[in-house]
Amino acid sequence: MKNSTAIKLENIQKKFNDFTAVDDFNVEIKKGEFFSLLGPSGCGKTTTLRMIAGLEEPTRGNIMLESEIVNNVPPYKRHVNTVFQDYALFPHMTVKKNIYFPLKMRKIPLPQAEPMIKKVLQLVNMEEFGNRLPQQLSGGQRQRIALARSLVNEPAALLLDEPLGALDFKLRIAMQKVLKDIQQNVGITFIYVTHDQTEAMTMSDRIAVMKDGRVHQIGNPDQIYNSPATAFVASFIGDMNFIHGRIVSKNRQEAEAYGNVFKFLNDKSDFTKEQDVLICVRTEKVQVNASREVDNSFDAELKRIIFRGVDYELTFNLNGAELRSIVSSLEWNQSIKTGTILKIGWNSDDVLIFPAEEERDIVKYSLDSE
Amino acid sequence: MKLEPNGYKIKDFIKGVPITLWLLLLVIIPLLFTFIMSFYTSDGNVIDKTFSLSNYKIFFTDSLYSSILWKSIKLAVLVSVLSIAAAFPLAYLVSFKIKRGRNLLFMLSIIPLWVSYLVRIIAWRSILGNQGVINSLLLAIGIIEKPLTFLLYNQFSIAITLIYICIPFVFIPVYTALEKIPKNLTEASSDLGAGEGKTFIYIIVPLAMPGLITGFIFSFIIALGDYIIPNQLGGTSGIMYGNLIWSQFGFAFNWPFGAALGFILFTIAITILGLTSRFGSTEGGFLSE
Repeated sequence: MKNSTAIKLENIQKKFNDFTAVDDFNVEIKKGEFFSLLGPSGCGKTTTLRMIAGLEEPTRGNIMLESEIVNNVPPYKRHVNTVFQDYALFPHMTVKKNIYFPLKMRKIPLPQAEPMIKKVLQLVNMEEFGNRLPQQLSGGQRQRIALARSLVNEPAALLLDEPLGALDFKLRIAMQKVLKDIQQNVGITFIYVTHDQTEAMTMSDRIAVMKDGRVHQIGNPDQIYNSPATAFVASFIGDMNFIHGRIVSKNRQEAEAYGNVFKFLNDKSDFTKEQDVLICVRTEKVQVNASREVDNSFDAELKRIIFRGVDYELTFNLNGAELRSIVSSLEWNQSIKTGTILKIGWNSDDVLIFPAEEERDIVKYSLDSE
Repeated sequence: MKLEPNGYKIKDFIKGVPITLWLLLLVIIPLLFTFIMSFYTSDGNVIDKTFSLSNYKIFFTDSLYSSILWKSIKLAVLVSVLSIAAAFPLAYLVSFKIKRGRNLLFMLSIIPLWVSYLVRIIAWRSILGNQGVINSLLLAIGIIEKPLTFLLYNQFSIAITLIYICIPFVFIPVYTALEKIPKNLTEASSDLGAGEGKTFIYIIVPLAMPGLITGFIFSFIIALGDYIIPNQLGGTSGIMYGNLIWSQFGFAFNWPFGAALGFILFTIAITILGLTSRFGSTEGGFLSE
């Protein structure tokens, strides 16, 4: 049963009047998987989650929970539970009564429910808070209670809608670990909606990256990071240099930009000669004064130095092309000033090429939080 | 700012002065006058200002007064409960089920308040009367041969009209309370296994309780003290406590006895309201999070 399917989405589409919120979504989510829906706001990730919860009906396609089509099954009859973005704890009930609520709906008498409530409170490390009201708790504590309330029914899948969105940075990091631990302990399928790429990368088994209602890529964090399917995915996750260029030699796998020739390795050799392309290199792959052998090497002028604590962000001018590089603080020689010509380079297998049309999808400037 | 306890006390004191004055002038002093007057006696047109408990003695010995008071309280409770029964589903529909034109519906629900109180009362007379809308209609269809007489000049007509008058006053606080309920709570409830009925009972009703209690208080006050509706639509069987007070001031010119009757009503109303509003505030405390 380990690898059986928990949730299957088939050609899911959701329209609000003329606006298509989600289009052609196909995925099979395995039991026990930590699956994330990642994308900028308005990409359709929350709508997808709400369709799985039953809070929205798909315009087209099928939603299957444990191989049963549930398109028209109301939320209260679906064996999934949701952790809402702002927790949605019932303010007139104590923590214990909040957690008892789903059990009460299943007509489980309180004495029988007590040990179940105690178990989930232990799971989220909140045993002493049973008699508090939600408004007497901090954000992180409310979050954990919302989680406990959703877990007490042992749902087939737990749906989490940006559950850490309202928490501050440090607490978010701590809660990420708590969530991941809990997921591994209980072995329930988690479907996790977030706009925070780091969050998705650190927690997920697989990620679906979405934009404007469309799924750009589904894959594990390694695939998403190292082999992005589209320029959007490449730009949304991690830090990427994009340079406008042109394919000059298809066979020798070379592209030209601003008079520089970049070598690349590309297995999807569907580019034609003279095609306009985007040449992409991750900032951390751009080496400065490279010690190891690199097969793309250039002289570039250092334009800007930004100290970020653990590392430096350096901006270079490469015959008019702008390139950024991330260098560890340990490796950077602080006496080097802007205006210096330095040798920068990278390996051709670190280069990604995308059709130039995809430029419109690129996230130009992304902050960690909205 | 310096946290000096004395400074704060003076500041708080100054802040409290206008409201205290206002209460004193408009509520406490008139009540005090009534209270004092209730111990006087009236002899024709002359008011005897010697202290006497005779007014209260009459009230507690003559069962006529207490029975009418009891009848009025029962009617006020009935009217309040039925007003809530009518206004709560309406407010729930407007707040939770209607997506477009909610403001328009809200305005329509309280539009009766824009029409003169007296006009609305007289309107009900022409609905319930012998040649009123209901009777004419039923006669025309041929369901009845003689006009129905139980419609008007009894407690039934008083209750119907009072409920009609009270509905907007219940609707407004209930609707406001419902609007304050975060909509994702109903989604969460549904997600956790509660159908619409259970969500209504376990989530909506408790969270709307402050509004329901306020609505109850409003309609209770209106129904308990009203004397115009019983006067216009009550007939002989429809004399309410409000009419008793009014007749002491208006006809009998026995102001001291009227004051005593008024003060008894005031005490009872305050007691009931005190009990309900305390219940209401503990239930409603979470809304002022």
